[in-house]
Amino acid sequence: MRLGIDFKGGCCVGALLVALVPRLASAALGEPESSIAGDVQHLQGSIKSTVRTNYRVHEIQLPSGTVLREFAAVDGKVFAVAWSGPAMPDLRQALGRYFDVYVTAAQAKHGGHRHLQIEQSEFVMQSSGHMRAFSGRAYLPQALPPGTSTDEIR
Amino acid sequence: MMAAGLIGFSSLVFVSCGGGGDGAGVTPTPPPPPSNVVSVVVDAGPNNRSVNTLFTTVTVCVPGSTTSCQTIDHVQVDTGSYGLRLLAPALTLSLPGTMASDGNSLVECTQFVDGYSWGPIALADIQVGEETAASVPIQVIGSSSFTTVPANCSATGIAEDTVAAFGANGILGIGVFEQDCGPGCAPPNMANTYYYSCSASACVNIAVPLNNQVLNPVRLFAADNDGSIIDLPSVAAPGTTTLTGSLIFGIDTQTNNASGSETILGVDLSYGDFTTVFNAQTLTRSFLDSGTNGIFFDDANLTQCPPPANPNDPSFVGFYCPAGPQSLTATLMGTNNTTISETFTVDNAQTLATGNPTFSVLPTLAGTWSTVGSVATTDTFDWGLPFYYGRRVFTAIENQRTAVGTGPYVAF
Repeated sequence: MRLGIDFKGGCCVGALLVALVPRLASAALGEPESSIAGDVQHLQGSIKSTVRTNYRVHEIQLPSGTVLREFAAVDGKVFAVAWSGPAMPDLRQALGRYFDVYVTAAQAKHGGHRHLQIEQSEFVMQSSGHMRAFSGRAYLPQALPPGTSTDEIR
Repeated sequence: MMAAGLIGFSSLVFVSCGGGGDGAGVTPTPPPPPSNVVSVVVDAGPNNRSVNTLFTTVTVCVPGSTTSCQTIDHVQVDTGSYGLRLLAPALTLSLPGTMASDGNSLVECTQFVDGYSWGPIALADIQVGEETAASVPIQVIGSSSFTTVPANCSATGIAEDTVAAFGANGILGIGVFEQDCGPGCAPPNMANTYYYSCSASACVNIAVPLNNQVLNPVRLFAADNDGSIIDLPSVAAPGTTTLTGSLIFGIDTQTNNASGSETILGVDLSYGDFTTVFNAQTLTRSFLDSGTNGIFFDDANLTQCPPPANPNDPSFVGFYCPAGPQSLTATLMGTNNTTISETFTVDNAQTLATGNPTFSVLPTLAGTWSTVGSVATTDTFDWGLPFYYGRRVFTAIENQRTAVGTGPYVAF
């Protein structure tokens, strides 16, 4: 496992702390930012963190070649995850407590292998692609930092 | 349906040759019917409710045998995947499994955007129409021999391992790639989430040499192996009950699969995708996909179907429901920088389906990843089966040289 960190803007201290936290919670969406270290370890990925206006983005490069991005608000809560690459990420890990919400919703409205959308007041997920090419995102609408557009979650 | 297609084609040849044949002392010999054509059909499928789903018939045999064989109908023709996958309940033939490099059974977790299919890799001789491929690695989904799904496989979502879940007895993946995973799952890349070595007690991820991965059977045909053409008649809106067309193997290998004036769109080597420009969005992860049952894209100006009033009613959530037919235009751009404009029509999915309950062919069906609250940003425009109606769509496999280019590309 390689932990690579790009220091950018004002994120240095936060990112460094995240990287040094050994192994806390094992879930991301809806969890504190500190859980991302657990994600990196569990997923055997390397991480790069950047800061944007109202949140930080932690980009985990997975061994499969897929990139998983976790979006953390100023208060430290992960409010979104997004992925892109040749394989699906470990959604149980990335979605955390919302994995079961996703599975239940996916079973209820199963309509095809190439597209998925779930919209609940608390949880939104969109997933697309085909073999060797996947992308998608999930977020908590009520936890979006002020001024953040869902367009930025990608 | 395979026989009907071939009969239809040979009688066409006979008629065209019959006109000038008599009296010249030379007995015209009709050319043998092309062996590279198999009939395909869009119908309601095994679950009797499929829409815009393209099927063909595939025969699999125990490798080397001409008698231990099974012909399986309603196998979905899918240009968005690679390799043959059969649903265990539809496969009564016992096929030999394959081994991972450590000697244990080789099992795959096939991923979808909403779930996974778990099952072992087996070897089969494959026959599609008259094309044959020997000892091809295929996946048997939902096998009773491998029922314990590893946690990092089920972490993709829901299990999709029944004929009902697929709406097909199997999937024939004939897209642009040779293997279902490719170099990312082959040594020296040891980590992947596609393949597993399974002992009696546990399964662990394992790298698999390219030739042992599930392979696009087209590449293994003795001839006509550089790609394929899906040739479907046009369909007037709102649609029709069923549609029959041809799947033609090979590009520029016979007179019936010659390249002509088609527009060629190169696709990228990683994903097999091209770019679609739509509503000023540049969607770099776009693809033609016979395995998608509508045109899928995001447009904030198009009305989405509402949730059903009664939870027990059919849901059209995820599809578009404009008040009436809407004409839209997008530009497709290949990695070779070739562009072509495409105009298509989107109609109300709910009206289409409820007003035409016997139709399996709905050319104006379209859907979205967007939700009411948010336009999705998936970078994707999925040109599903309606795009194929009224066209010959070429799929050239990676590294294969045709008369007009080198795969991977799509052309139409």
